[in-house]
Amino acid sequence: MKTVRNQREDRLQPVDRLKAVRTLAVGAIVALMPLAAAVAQVASTYKEIKTPKLHDFKVPQTKRFQLSNGMVVFLMEDHELPLIRGTARVRGGGRDVAGDKAGLAGILGSSWRTGGTESKTGDQLDDFLEARAARVETGASEDSTNVRMDVLKGDFEAVFPVFVDLLEHPAFRQEKIDLAKTQANTGISRRNDDPMGLGNREAAKLAYGVNSPYTRQAEYSSIASITRDDLVSFHHRFVYPNNIILGFAGDFDSSAMESKIRQTFESWPSGPAASKVAPTERNSAKTGVYFIPKDDVTQSNIYLVGNGSVMRNDPDYFAVGVMNEILSGGFSGRLMNKIRSEMGLAYGVGGGVGQEWDHLGMFRIWMGTKSESTAQAVQALRDQMSALESKPFTSEELALAKESILNSFIFTMDSKAKILNQQMNLEFYGYPADYYSKFVSGIEHVSAEDVARVAKKYVSPNQLSVLVIGKEKDFDKPLATLGTVSKIDIAIPEPGSAPAGSKPAASNAEGTALINKVAQYVGGAAAIQNLKAMRRVGSMSMRTPQGPMDVEVDEIVSFPDSSHRVMKTPMGEMTMVMTPTAAFMSSPMGSQDIPASQRAAMQSESKQDLFTVLRNTNNPDYTFSVVGTEKIGEINAQVLQVNAAGSNFKWYVDPSNGRILRKVSTGRQGESITEYTEWKMFNGINVPVGFSVTTAGQPSGGGKLTTVEINPTVDPKMFEKPVAK
Amino acid sequence: MTGVRRISSLLLLTFAVSLSAQNLASIEKRVSVKKLDNGLTLIVMERPQAPVFSFATVVNAGNAQEVPGITGLAHMFEHMAFKGTNKIGTKDYEKERAALAKVETTYAAYDKERRMMVGSDSAKVAQLEKDWKSAIDEANKYVVPNEFSKIVDRAGAVGVNAGTAPDETVYFYSFPSNRVELWAYLESERFIHPVFREFYKERDVVTEERRMRTESSPIGRLVEQFLETAFQAHSYRQPTVGWPSDLKTFSATDAAAFFKKYYVPNNMVVAVVGDVKASDTMPLLEKYFSRIPKAPAPEPNRTVEPQQIAERRVVIREASQPFYLEGYHRPAATDKDNAVYSVMEILMSDGRTSRLYRSLVRDKKLAVNAQGFNGFPGQKYPNLFAFFAVPTAGHAATDLIEPIHSEIDRLKNEDVTADELQSIKTKAKAQLIRQLDSNNGLALQLAEYQTLFGDWRELFREVDDIDKVSAGDIRRVANALFIPANRTIGYIESTKTAAAAPTSGGSK
Repeated sequence: MKTVRNQREDRLQPVDRLKAVRTLAVGAIVALMPLAAAVAQVASTYKEIKTPKLHDFKVPQTKRFQLSNGMVVFLMEDHELPLIRGTARVRGGGRDVAGDKAGLAGILGSSWRTGGTESKTGDQLDDFLEARAARVETGASEDSTNVRMDVLKGDFEAVFPVFVDLLEHPAFRQEKIDLAKTQANTGISRRNDDPMGLGNREAAKLAYGVNSPYTRQAEYSSIASITRDDLVSFHHRFVYPNNIILGFAGDFDSSAMESKIRQTFESWPSGPAASKVAPTERNSAKTGVYFIPKDDVTQSNIYLVGNGSVMRNDPDYFAVGVMNEILSGGFSGRLMNKIRSEMGLAYGVGGGVGQEWDHLGMFRIWMGTKSESTAQAVQALRDQMSALESKPFTSEELALAKESILNSFIFTMDSKAKILNQQMNLEFYGYPADYYSKFVSGIEHVSAEDVARVAKKYVSPNQLSVLVIGKEKDFDKPLATLGTVSKIDIAIPEPGSAPAGSKPAASNAEGTALINKVAQYVGGAAAIQNLKAMRRVGSMSMRTPQGPMDVEVDEIVSFPDSSHRVMKTPMGEMTMVMTPTAAFMSSPMGSQDIPASQRAAMQSESKQDLFTVLRNTNNPDYTFSVVGTEKIGEINAQVLQVNAAGSNFKWYVDPSNGRILRKVSTGRQGESITEYTEWKMFNGINVPVGFSVTTAGQPSGGGKLTTVEINPTVDPKMFEKPVAK
Repeated sequence: MTGVRRISSLLLLTFAVSLSAQNLASIEKRVSVKKLDNGLTLIVMERPQAPVFSFATVVNAGNAQEVPGITGLAHMFEHMAFKGTNKIGTKDYEKERAALAKVETTYAAYDKERRMMVGSDSAKVAQLEKDWKSAIDEANKYVVPNEFSKIVDRAGAVGVNAGTAPDETVYFYSFPSNRVELWAYLESERFIHPVFREFYKERDVVTEERRMRTESSPIGRLVEQFLETAFQAHSYRQPTVGWPSDLKTFSATDAAAFFKKYYVPNNMVVAVVGDVKASDTMPLLEKYFSRIPKAPAPEPNRTVEPQQIAERRVVIREASQPFYLEGYHRPAATDKDNAVYSVMEILMSDGRTSRLYRSLVRDKKLAVNAQGFNGFPGQKYPNLFAFFAVPTAGHAATDLIEPIHSEIDRLKNEDVTADELQSIKTKAKAQLIRQLDSNNGLALQLAEYQTLFGDWRELFREVDDIDKVSAGDIRRVANALFIPANRTIGYIESTKTAAAAPTSGGSK
């Protein structure tokens, strides 16, 4: 719970805060300078203090070798502590996944480890590893996946086989995939609570576009569509020695480690090579003012976003690095000086031209300011952007930025683990191994003219879009005074709904024929159109965290869109009412509105009601497609994909008579399968009266209807909310 | 099968114990400690891995030293420590000093008038505010902005930062090792000749920090409400960043008084770790830091949290997603049973074999994360053993209460298994070893342990104490601790999704 003073945006990767010492003398030995001799007495100003030459430092070198199957290996001995740490970085990550499977890399990164290996379950691995305080973990990022280990030296022999087995033979057990999906869905449900996370995501979408490989966002629907086969295919597509860079650092002997690695991996056959070219699809950055309303904050998050970006092998990289340092290097940069120290408008402010390894990134500036100074802050940021062109870079600014970068360069190589990671990273992106040795002269050669030139080239003040997340009511001026405002809708699409922007596929002919058959089975189109209301009475059992619970249900549905449901539970009676304009629940304790999230889920569920769907077979918002067949018992059921006005599910239908056997839908708890075990005719309408439900692979309930009334008398008062006492 | 496993864990234990002892012995050889005549403690650890060093200055005062009216002041002083000295950050200190004195007198007059309960004259308030603002403008003429930071950055510092916690205020960064003297000068000067320049603008910056961390964050809001409920007397109830009204009111004069009382040398520990030799570095540091004038030790806090006699509950009903917290009052870290609390924390929280992960996350799928943790919000004084949990989508925070309590009941009613206890002890040892791999981490740990326990070696002894904990100890401590009357519960009850907030317009 520390309150840390300067939580600045880290616009430079740690590895990139490449800053230099002048002497990278290789071969020299650490020679300690006699500091005490230099200090006769206390200095009276900092300027009097002499800076001795930095100790010569032999930069530790990694050992690199390549196996005949293409695996590249780096080793770094480090005998300080009795630890051994290793990473296998595998080409292929989130950006290589199809858009409708967004989120797959995250599910993979998690269930790769928790799902265990072919010989041991993930839970067995947990016991085995934790008894040794050892770690073997997996993960996924935008461009790669990884398997890592971290062990006390004495446990290496026991744990290394687990690392190897997990890398080569993961089992992806379904229960852990389901667990990862539950966690991913929870992440989706919470993603709008953190204003900065929300802002970072939406700012990237403004720069790259919504469907770029770098911004595609996991939704309930994409998570639901991810199957074990998808994970296995991903592993089969990428995990081959020729796509792997392996690195170990720690308390081992390099030759022994090399033999161990050769012996373990040399016989692993290579496979198809993953592409080393990064995907580049993106839109050009949008311009204009974008607004996301968020009322539970007192501070606006403000972003300026553009396309300005360089790769790290671009000749402009060094000049851009110096410009970024001048703009937002620590407290010395222009943004902190002006916006925080001089104007007192922000705690955090920073950003700059993006620097990426293998694709172009984005230009981004971020700040947070109180709602009441939002417009003023946007203007202040815009002024700073214009000043990059109009206010010449002074020699003092240039010297400060360059010295800051160069004098701290030593921190890029102050630990052996850092040096190993650097080498693995250079190998991954195809950069030369001596890349960092050129950094010092690259920075030294940057002139004020270079900085001015790159500022002009990569920052176009008039092309930057503005993104504001905040509480509009408290703004100092309407955002419209800053430009034409577009609102961004961040509503989270409910489970089962189509991905944003996608149009429902039209019905196919087989689908239309099959839904008509279903309608026939239920009582025929005329009887269905005559349905005004229906009462269903029965008993249900539900699984709850506290155990099974029996509920008696008495529900009246008034078509098209109102319902009144009385539930008797062991805890008492509860009534839930939903109309197009209200949703509330009442109990002897009083009435309260149903939370919007639950209400949206209920609305989605009611769209999927058998009779609602059948009343809408001619509505263009409802589409029906046969997407396959599947055997249920002895019946070759046809799988009917239904899009009920944005709410998606599947019916498995007996093609001989139109009887629905099963329904499959996806909710927040995961995939839900309903088996219809019994149908019964009431006044010419055939109603499913027996059913059982399985959710996320676990039985979650079932029920039986005892009474069904067709077109009962409906008292409109039952849909009114009781007046509070 | 079991037999084999037991043998292997026994071997492991022997191995890990020797590791721990070895590490302490090897580290002791490289650590020098010196208490100066003025009371300040210096620690130097030689770790010549690369020509760099890190330091940590720990001041044994945090927001637990604040009283109502000045909440947030410890943190405010932390910000001021980057504003320079009488030689750094000024164009003409003599004139600036006079101008800053006028800022204080005009502020006092303005503040007195505007906060009058009766008879405040708005015209007079406006005039006094104007006088104060002109005094600020005058003082700002002498400021060289961010000069302290520029000197530090230019010399190659990384990780320049500081933090304020209830127990302590910490300053730290890392330098190339040819900057030891520059650092010793800068670090000692800012505590010998601090200047409270640009104070009132920095107050606005800190208020923005409050908006970011507390007001605009659902969990930030809950934690503030929770602590304010769990503690009714002790200053752990106060937010570190301060209450908004105090942030609008306290003055540079208040900050100077806080500084004078608590930033005294016998209340400070400075640790340096890296490419330094104690033989040259210790005399150099002594030269610079012994100049901090000796002063009486501050009086220890008087108020002790009384025993809780009733369960407390705080509920935030709002649009954000649910979150759950609960806490039980436990003694300070110096308590003889401290290691038992640590073992319970590891047992409940560490890794996928932990009790809460297995029960709530893996099996019941009620939470995506659930953990118990010690030392909330600090550990110097009696504090909380707390639990937090993040419910999975579709579950309310209250769904987690019973499952957490049933895991707590297991601590009270069942002996922890020998395998579990062994695994915890192994984890504690390994965790210690993994902490020893960075200058920055070591400097912080050495200085913090020296401050809290009077001896940095406690960092290693803690592991030995954990090694002695028995199953019976856990049941004994759990039965005394986890009782309803000693409990505070806090949670967010989600009323609607954030996307459907009234003005969002775009929600469907």
